[in-house]
Amino acid sequence: MENPELISIWKEQNAKIEKTLAINQLLLKDAINNKAKSSLKSLIKLKTAGIIAFVFYLAILGYALVYAFSNYSTAWNYFIVSVSAIALINIKGFSDYVKHLVWANNINYNGSVMEIQQQLLRLQLSIIKHAKIMSLQFPFFTTFYLSNNWFPHEVGFGYIIFQVLLTSSFVYLSYWLYKNHKPENLDKKWFRTMIAGSGGKSVMKAIEFYRELEEFKKE
Amino acid sequence: MDKTDKSDIFLSAIELNKGIIYKVANSYCKNVEDRKDLVQEIIIHLWKSFDNYDNNFRHSTWMYRISLNVAISFYRKEHSRKRISNPLTDGIVDFPHYDSVEDNESNLGILQQMILQLKNLDKALMLLYLEEKSHKEISQIIGISETNVATKINRIKNVLKQQFTQIKNQ
Repeated sequence: MENPELISIWKEQNAKIEKTLAINQLLLKDAINNKAKSSLKSLIKLKTAGIIAFVFYLAILGYALVYAFSNYSTAWNYFIVSVSAIALINIKGFSDYVKHLVWANNINYNGSVMEIQQQLLRLQLSIIKHAKIMSLQFPFFTTFYLSNNWFPHEVGFGYIIFQVLLTSSFVYLSYWLYKNHKPENLDKKWFRTMIAGSGGKSVMKAIEFYRELEEFKKE
Repeated sequence: MDKTDKSDIFLSAIELNKGIIYKVANSYCKNVEDRKDLVQEIIIHLWKSFDNYDNNFRHSTWMYRISLNVAISFYRKEHSRKRISNPLTDGIVDFPHYDSVEDNESNLGILQQMILQLKNLDKALMLLYLEEKSHKEISQIIGISETNVATKINRIKNVLKQQFTQIKNQ
């Protein structure tokens, strides 16, 4: 066949479909009566471990801050500022995580393919946005242990230099990660390695599809 | 409308348009178990959006939009999400068994294999073209301009025809 008529070949299945394709009415009713309702609950059950871990972590940070405020002295200043920043960033990250989880499950698929797929992609790629925000806390892990009691007046000049360099490096690292955490960096091995640990496979598929979508949009 | 009426109308719509669900699932999933899961997800999403069905569009347009959106996003979900409901032993749609060598080597079998190889969005376009949807309707379902629909369909059609001829000549 040199110039196949694709449509007529495709239509060959129509008669067979009408004759042999059967809808299992019982399963269909079960799907619309039970499974439609339970899909959100199931998703939340799946993500519960992550949600519990996050809440537990925030509780520890909160307790540490309450303790510091209750026993306040200027020695606690570095600790309070650092842990407050870490807690705020984690609260933001956690609330985005839960929000996106619920949105993703409730998205209405009755829109054009391009519109809905772009919405879904934005949600799926929110993992990257989430990681961007979480990277902002890194510098504070190099300052929470400092204290006015001994820093900087009770330490040598060498330690001061070391501390300044350490914190500056982490500030730069945070800034660089924040700037470079984007789907366009899918080609880079460091990026793929980094997102592999945070729901990576589905994110990788989402990123690959993002490229397909961008290519498809071109006339 | 009471719940029974709504279910009955929905079930009739599915029965009338079962071919759409079959063809979409068949085109996006090679694996039989995946097809069953995909069909279930499509039906759930159709049901969820049934209350908001817009009478300005045909039933088939509504079903294509949802079916294609679910199918395209199906494999991007985490693997564990696919089996969160009780796994089906039987499917909602009983797929005809087209797995014989004769079926796979038929013109239809070859075309179906070629469609399976296409990228997600190209696949959606070709499905709608093969279903003889107008460029206007395809544009409404996919969400690109009619000109873009025509250009892309021509490109994919030519590639498929070339591949088809090569396979048949082997």
